[in-house]
Amino acid sequence: MTKKVLVICGTGVATSTVVAIKIKDFCSSRGIPVVVTQGKVMDIVRGIEGYDLIVATTPIPSTVKIPVIQGLSFLTGIGNEATLEKIAQALS
Amino acid sequence: MDLGASIALPILITVFGLMLGEKLPRAFRAGVTIGIGFIGIGLIIGLLFGKVGPAAQGLADRFNVDLTIVDVGWPASAAIAFGSKVGAIIIPICLLMNIFLLAVGLTKTFDIDLWNYWHFAFIGGLVAAITESYAKGIVTALIAMMLTLALADWAAPRIQAHYDYPDISFPHGTSAAYAILAYPLNWVFDRIPGFNKLKADPESIQKRFGIFGETTMLGLFIGLALGVAGFGLDKPREDIIAILGLGITLAAVMLLLPRMVAILMEGLVPISEAARSFVGKRFPGRKFYIGLDSAVVIGQPAVIATSLILVPVTLLTAIALAPLGNKVFPLVDLATIPFIVCLMVPIFGGNIIRSVAGGAILIGGGLFIATAIAPTLTEVAVSSGFNNETGGTISSLVDGANPMTGLFYWLSDIGGWTGIGILGAITLAISIFVKMKVKHNISSSVSH
Repeated sequence: MTKKVLVICGTGVATSTVVAIKIKDFCSSRGIPVVVTQGKVMDIVRGIEGYDLIVATTPIPSTVKIPVIQGLSFLTGIGNEATLEKIAQALS
Repeated sequence: MDLGASIALPILITVFGLMLGEKLPRAFRAGVTIGIGFIGIGLIIGLLFGKVGPAAQGLADRFNVDLTIVDVGWPASAAIAFGSKVGAIIIPICLLMNIFLLAVGLTKTFDIDLWNYWHFAFIGGLVAAITESYAKGIVTALIAMMLTLALADWAAPRIQAHYDYPDISFPHGTSAAYAILAYPLNWVFDRIPGFNKLKADPESIQKRFGIFGETTMLGLFIGLALGVAGFGLDKPREDIIAILGLGITLAAVMLLLPRMVAILMEGLVPISEAARSFVGKRFPGRKFYIGLDSAVVIGQPAVIATSLILVPVTLLTAIALAPLGNKVFPLVDLATIPFIVCLMVPIFGGNIIRSVAGGAILIGGGLFIATAIAPTLTEVAVSSGFNNETGGTISSLVDGANPMTGLFYWLSDIGGWTGIGILGAITLAISIFVKMKVKHNISSSVSH
C-alpha cells in the first residue's frame, strides 16, 4: 500500500525540497511505494492527520501525533544513509 | 530587450553545472527546471499585481491610507535577485569568495546552502541598479556575503547552545542581520523596569493565534478585508464579486508562489550537491561550520509563538506608520516573519514578549527601508524579465525591509566607491574581531 510522507521545514519550500527529492529517489530505488508532500511547520501548529510519517528539518510542535524522523542529516550530508534506513523501517 | 532570467539562467546553470563536474543531461535538466520556476513566479506576480493594485488604490483614495506598494515577499524577491545581472553569476563568485575566506581563516563557515546566495544577489542587484554600475553591484554582493559569514560565526556558539545543533551556523542573509541587532535591544529591555520581568507561554499562544500561521486562510481574510476597505459596497453585486474574488486570489497567491519557488529549488539541488562534492574533494578533512538555512530552527515553539503574534502586529504597524511615510502593504512576507525573528529569539533567551517587542521595532523601522528601495526593486524586476503591465510598485519584507539591505543600498548610493570602501572596512574589522573571539571560545572550552 502507498505510504504518505509529509516533509516539513520552515517554508515548505527550501530545505523540504532537498529532503523530498532524496526520499523519493531512495524509495523508488527500494521499490517502496510512497507519496511525498511538502509543508511548512506554521501550517501544522494546531495538529495534522492523514500521514504515515513526518520527516522534518525543524522541530515539530507537540500537538502533532504522527511519528517524526529528523531529516537534518540530508542538509549537512552527515549520517544521510542512517536516516534513510530509519525511514525505510518506519514505512515497512 | 533583455534576455530575461527564464532564458538566460537555464543556459548559465547548465554551464556552471558542467564546470562543477555534473553530467550534461542532469545539468541541463537543472537549468530548464530553474527556467520553468521563473515562468511560474512571473505568472503569480502578475496575478498579484492585477488584483491587489486596484484594491490598494481604492484604500488610498477612500481612506487616505496610501499602502500602494505591494509586498511580493521572499519568493519573488529571490527570483528577482537570481534573475538580475548580478544574480546571474552570484553562485560561482560567492562560492569562490567563501573558499577564499576559509583558506585565509576569515570565516569558519562553509555556506553549502547555495539557494540563499540570493540574499547577496538581492543587495548587489539593487546597488547595481541605483548606482548604474555592474562592478559596484558585484563588489557589494561579495561584501554582503563576507559580513553574513562573519555574523554567522559570531552568533554560532550561542545559537548552537540554544538549539543544540553542533557545528552548524546560519549564514542566512535575513536572520543573521537581525540577530546582531537583538543584542543592543536586549540590553535596553533589561533596563526597562517591569518589562524585564514579563514572560509568556508558547503553548497557549500557539492555540490562540494558530490561525495566523495558516497562510492560505490568512491570505483569504486579508483579501476580503482589503476588498471591503478598497472597493466599498456602493454597488453591492459588483463589489461583493470583486471582494470575494480578491479573497480567493490572495489565498491562491499565498499557496502558489512558494510552490513555484519549490520548482526553482528543485533545479538548484543537483547544482548544490555538485558544488558540495567539488569543495569536499578540495578541502579533505578540513574542519568548518556547515552553513544552513535558518529554516531548520523555525519549528521552535518560541519562534512560532512570536511569529504568530507578529502577523497582526505587522499589519497594524504598517497601517499606523502610513501617515509617517510607509507605503508598503505587508502581504506575502507575513508568512516569512519566522525568518526575521528566529535568530533573535535565542538572544532574547527564548522570551516571547521581548522577541515580539524587538521584532515589531525592527519590522516597523524596516517598512521605511522597504518603501525607500521599492522603485529600484521594481526596476530590477522589470529588467529581470518580470512583466509589470499595470505599472505598480513592489517591495518585500524579506529582504526589502532588512537593515543590511538598507545600509548597503544607502551607503553605496550616497557614497559611491567611498561608501562601499567604508562597508568593506567595517566588514573586515568585524571579521577579524569575530575571528579572535571565536578562537577564544574554542581554546577556553579545550582548557576545561
